[in-house]
Amino acid sequence: MAETNKWTWLALAVLVAALLMLPQVVKNAFALDIFIRILLFSFIGVAWNLMGGYAKQLSLGHAAYFGLGAYTSTIMQIDFNISPWIGMIAGGVVAMLASLPIGWLCFRLRGPYFTIATIATAQALMLIFLKFRDLAWGAEGTTIPNLGSSPLMMQFETKASYYYVVLGLLAIGLAITYRIEKSWMGYYLVAIGEDEDAAEAIGVNAPRIKRDIYMISAFLTALAGTFYVQYIYFIDPATAFNFNISIEAALVSIVGGIGTLWGPVIGTVLLETTSALLQSWLGSTTGGIQLTVYALILMAIILWRPTGLMGMVNEVLQRRAQQRKPTQARTVL
Amino acid sequence: MLETVVQAVINGLLIGGIYALVSIGVTLIFGVVKIVNFAQGEFVMLGMYITFFLFTYFGIDPLLSLFVSMPVLFVAGALIQHFLIRRVLGPNDMPQIFLTFALSLLLLNLSLLLFTANYRTVHTFYSDEAIHIGGIYIPVAKLIAFVVAMALSGALWVLLHTTDLGKAMRAAAQNRDVATLMGINPNRVFAVAFGAALALAGAAGSLLMPFYSAYPFVGQVFVLMAFVAVVLGTLGNVVGALVASLMMGVAESLGIQFVGADSGLIVVFAMLLLTLAFKPTGLGGGRMR
Repeated sequence: MAETNKWTWLALAVLVAALLMLPQVVKNAFALDIFIRILLFSFIGVAWNLMGGYAKQLSLGHAAYFGLGAYTSTIMQIDFNISPWIGMIAGGVVAMLASLPIGWLCFRLRGPYFTIATIATAQALMLIFLKFRDLAWGAEGTTIPNLGSSPLMMQFETKASYYYVVLGLLAIGLAITYRIEKSWMGYYLVAIGEDEDAAEAIGVNAPRIKRDIYMISAFLTALAGTFYVQYIYFIDPATAFNFNISIEAALVSIVGGIGTLWGPVIGTVLLETTSALLQSWLGSTTGGIQLTVYALILMAIILWRPTGLMGMVNEVLQRRAQQRKPTQARTVL
Repeated sequence: MLETVVQAVINGLLIGGIYALVSIGVTLIFGVVKIVNFAQGEFVMLGMYITFFLFTYFGIDPLLSLFVSMPVLFVAGALIQHFLIRRVLGPNDMPQIFLTFALSLLLLNLSLLLFTANYRTVHTFYSDEAIHIGGIYIPVAKLIAFVVAMALSGALWVLLHTTDLGKAMRAAAQNRDVATLMGINPNRVFAVAFGAALALAGAAGSLLMPFYSAYPFVGQVFVLMAFVAVVLGTLGNVVGALVASLMMGVAESLGIQFVGADSGLIVVFAMLLLTLAFKPTGLGGGRMR
């Protein structure tokens, strides 16, 4: 297997180099914006995938943590003049702490009703931020003061800098996923995802593992929230707790390949590219077309390729590997 | 003060009847087919649009359009079950959740494309009528909706408990394998259950139309209520869903009356969270899925 490993690392090095070089080549703001969106939603997808993909705890409420991250850093910045870099970490911690009671409630349900409970908690949080104006600006939201170029306050003059920030976030997310995938926790998560009762029967402490992975997933999602509001300079409950964020987090993972390291990234590339093409063809005036197409892609994947695009890639790779070694007996597990 | 409370309770019960039609559909599908239909609200929306177009282009009264919306959605439900849902039934949750979820996204956004986001209303001769009893005010359209909703729920209960088809459905809900061994064709039973649930959603749409606007996102309001009611009333329990829906209508209405116009949903979510915290099996008791 050493040979495959070498090629994997080489491919990864080329990919990283290309991603680092990209803003030097692409100067078009619209194109860079699409790349930033791809990286951001890949990152959110990676965060979702840790819990939703490996442990199959299919949350549709990750907007809760996105919003908590966004609001924590913004409140700290505007009310206390604390840098969003610190706010980002603080937001992650707030999200992590919030995931404890939310998880305590939602993990009482399994399968589809877990999903519904997560939707309800995210909606409830949005309502709280809408209703209690003392907490934060209510429904109108607020703009984030533009300080010009101020890297210490996570504000940059060029889109390229934002690109590097979110690229860094994605790298962290993938590294954490890789580490977890290779650890005992990764195996526990997959076992829980396959059959929670069976996993518990062989001694996996399912409630603890689910709690821990939910905390990690919430933490990462909150980082994305902080980045996003810093990038668009605006926050309101409808943006920060948008249901579409929960949807997209799950969608990119499922389309790309649920419970795989690169699945969310590949899924985001496909979906965001589709959406960008649709926008440039039809203009943004045609409401609904983007999600109509997303829904059709999602249905097609579920009905014909439930393992997602990564599953298709793996099938092709396996077929080629078998062709290359015709002498080796095919083992069927 | 007492009058305000009584008025709020009546308002809540009347709208709770509509919630009941939606949540009985959700709980019926869950009980029999063992999946959660995330698209149930979108079928209420479709029922509303069918009613709207029948009224606008043919002048058909929303109550008469029940005879169109219910059969159309029944057939749609049976076809969806046969061609889509049947393919993902099995132990794996992911495809089931996200297939109906994709269906919901698809219907919602297609409606946005085809019908635009405009609010559509139907104005019938009884839309503004109301009955006054003492200081209490009962809108006629809502009263009709409530009565028909209760009649339909009762009809479903009779169907489930007295007819062979209904008994087959309940048998398939209890144990699919044993039911199959007894000669029940599960695919046929599932198709009927799914169709019946969608017909109820379509009925809810038609009944709502004289006093409620149709717009692509309208289903989301009702499906959220239905999900909470179904958890509260124990998953798969038809009577539980009915009682819980009425309770939620009343809770929402009292919340709007005494906490503020935008707090209806907060009250409902609070009910869900309290149920999950203290009685996760729901008020109907029994085993949780």
